[in-house]
Amino acid sequence: MATDLVPEVVQPAAGSSRQASPPKRKRPRRPVPLWRELFRYRWLYLLLLPGLVYFVVFKYLPMYGLSIAFKDYVPFLGYSGSQWVGLEHFRELFTGPDFGRLMFNTLLLALLTIVFVFPAPIVVALLLNELRVNVLKRSVQSLIYIPHFLSWTIVASLTYLLFSVDFGVIANWIHGLVGGQKVDYVAQADWFRPLIVLQLLWKQTGWGTIIYLAALAGVDSQLYEAARVDGAGRWRQFWHITLPAIRPTIVVMAILTSGHLMDSGFEQIWLMTTSLNRDVADVFDTFVYYIGITQGAFSYATAVGLFKGLVGVLLIFGSNWLAKRLGQRGLF
Amino acid sequence: MTILSRRRLAVAVALSTALLVSACSGGDGKEQASADELTVMAPLFGTAPDPNGELQQAVEKQVGTKLKITWVPNAEYGDKTNVTLASDSIPDLMVVNEKSPAFVKAAEAGAFWDLTGKLDKYPNLKPADEQTAKNSMVNGKTYGVYRVRPLLRSGIVIRKDWLAKLGLQEPRTVEDLYTVAKAFTERDPDGNGKKDTYGLIIPKWPGGYGSASPYDVVETWFGAPNGWGERDGKLVPGFDTPEFLAANRWLKTWIQQGLVNPDFATLDSGNWNDPFVQGKGGMIIDVNVRATQLLDLFKEKNPKDFDKVTLVGNLQRADGQKFSYPFTGYSSVIAVSKQHIRSEDQLDQVLQALDKLESKEGSILLTNGIEGRNFKADGKFAVPVNQDDPKVKAIQNDVDKAFIQLGTRASVGLGAYQLRPADPASRAMREKFDVLMAEDLKTAVFNPALGVIAPTQVSKGQTLENIVPDARIKYLSGTITEDQLKAQIKRWYDAGGTQIAQEVNDLAAKAGG
Repeated sequence: MATDLVPEVVQPAAGSSRQASPPKRKRPRRPVPLWRELFRYRWLYLLLLPGLVYFVVFKYLPMYGLSIAFKDYVPFLGYSGSQWVGLEHFRELFTGPDFGRLMFNTLLLALLTIVFVFPAPIVVALLLNELRVNVLKRSVQSLIYIPHFLSWTIVASLTYLLFSVDFGVIANWIHGLVGGQKVDYVAQADWFRPLIVLQLLWKQTGWGTIIYLAALAGVDSQLYEAARVDGAGRWRQFWHITLPAIRPTIVVMAILTSGHLMDSGFEQIWLMTTSLNRDVADVFDTFVYYIGITQGAFSYATAVGLFKGLVGVLLIFGSNWLAKRLGQRGLF
Repeated sequence: MTILSRRRLAVAVALSTALLVSACSGGDGKEQASADELTVMAPLFGTAPDPNGELQQAVEKQVGTKLKITWVPNAEYGDKTNVTLASDSIPDLMVVNEKSPAFVKAAEAGAFWDLTGKLDKYPNLKPADEQTAKNSMVNGKTYGVYRVRPLLRSGIVIRKDWLAKLGLQEPRTVEDLYTVAKAFTERDPDGNGKKDTYGLIIPKWPGGYGSASPYDVVETWFGAPNGWGERDGKLVPGFDTPEFLAANRWLKTWIQQGLVNPDFATLDSGNWNDPFVQGKGGMIIDVNVRATQLLDLFKEKNPKDFDKVTLVGNLQRADGQKFSYPFTGYSSVIAVSKQHIRSEDQLDQVLQALDKLESKEGSILLTNGIEGRNFKADGKFAVPVNQDDPKVKAIQNDVDKAFIQLGTRASVGLGAYQLRPADPASRAMREKFDVLMAEDLKTAVFNPALGVIAPTQVSKGQTLENIVPDARIKYLSGTITEDQLKAQIKRWYDAGGTQIAQEVNDLAAKAGG
């Protein structure tokens, strides 16, 4: 998804010129009837149709199922047979003992992600960009995005192998260096968040650099040449050319990320949860799975998921608004 | 406009329902004649059988109808059950945990047949044991045919050679057990000169409170109720008793002294046998069958010297009193869905088919296989034959890993041949099972609330389920103090437990009286 954004970001000119063209037309004519408009561009609309059908069938129709969030859904009775309960499930969620903890855990993980995981690809991309040996640059880039293709199950197993208290290689190594009592990194609540962030960094950073490197590749090299002629050093070039060049990309990525803030990555968290760290590990995603699939409370799970989704939408709009207020091009 | 949008809505509804139906059941919305084909869902412990395989054909012949069986790996069976219950295609016959909230809800809404009082007509489905029949009920209703398991399977598996090397006796009391664990940890039972062993192996337990975990078994030894117990004329959850705290205080010293594997909170329960076979730990508290499993693993390692395992039953506590941890006597039930089987007549047909499946001939098919192909009868024993033939091997696999799960009486060998253990050590172990079970059954602590399920448990159980087992692990690992453990128990009450306790008392009184 992220990669198709690149052209739009790198070549802002295309979009703006299209926007600029309508005023050039002569004075507005009488509005053309809709059907004639449709007929004139019928082939274009025909092209649109499959995509439209796809979205309606697979993205919008299933939303009807969300109605079970307001029902006491019993599958055997079906959508129509189950009783409406209004906002009961939401009331239970907001007043229940879990809500505060879920919200805190989800937001804290989101915050950690923003602070540590989001900037990592930017930093790495900028560093790679300064590498002048192309072979080295390419091979480093390839090497660090390989972990992206490993499943979370493998990452979790690796973590366990490395950090387990009994036979973990790194755990024993740290124990050898620091001494003292052995630390159970995998089970202890205190180490849950650091491990999650480390896993994310290890797995996603390399992949994330691709988009920034693409943006950097689009920077006109004449700008650098001109700057060098004017006596700019590497730092100046970085500060005045490289950084502004990828700023739109960063903003778009930030807005997109904000929509996923409430998604803490179900698999990763689920695999790392134990009895000892459940208090800090429970997030909305795992909670929905736990009560919906494991416990079979479908309506309640849907209500929780719906709430999560709404917050995500709000965050997208909010961050888009914020970006515009800060003088950046927003997403829409 | 309103008409248009209403029509649109109707189309949308129709479309989405159609999608759901076709996605879930492969497109057949039509009524299914139950006599021609029965759909079945059951757990699987290995590779799924071939639907056209020899064994399935034999079973179909026995039952008299075609079977369309969905085999689901046991590890994800609970999840898959809930997803299936949410779908539009519930199998006609379903192996299911009748106490899970999703099932209770579905059954109470009428998705499954209430079989209360209906099973007596069928000689092979009639409950053989009253206590077990009661255990398998949901608030006085029978929603399925229970699958028999031995009532008392709990025990301690111990490294026999380690005991011998250190000159120790098999433990009889909890004190003895502590002595053994301490010796296994500190006196170098494997003789490698290093202090690299521990006494007891505990895995990360997948179930909640009262799910036959080693913790639950130990608590019962100390006199805590099994799940629910009577105190001052009222039923209370087992964790709200002084015995529960005493047992865990005792276990905590084990963990502090390193007598338990350090990764007890994270060790995958699928790898439970590994440290035992690798000689890292010397004891496992679990079902007795684990003893034969471990024996087989040692045999695989070294066929000449493998008799290294012994099994001990439940233990006395310090004052000499003994309490044994029984199981429910069954594992899941086979429920009949109402989706396709609508009338009493159809139900009768299905139950007749099931009755044939659970007859002596059927049980032999499900437990042993096809006589003359993969086994031959020798008295009351079944002796495997022709095991080198890949086709026979397939039959054996289908029996052991899959079809045995369809037997309501099969897995314990009722109505079928017993498997003759291959070597004297396994044979002795098998015989020990019966001796220990008979012995421990005298002191079994039953759960008086097994047959009831509180409505609040169904609607709110999800937020309560983890509170106590999590707190227990945290207490044992030293993360929280005993006062904090007590606070967590109070939290359970405050978050809805009080209501559950009230309902359980009411329902149990009604069921008992």
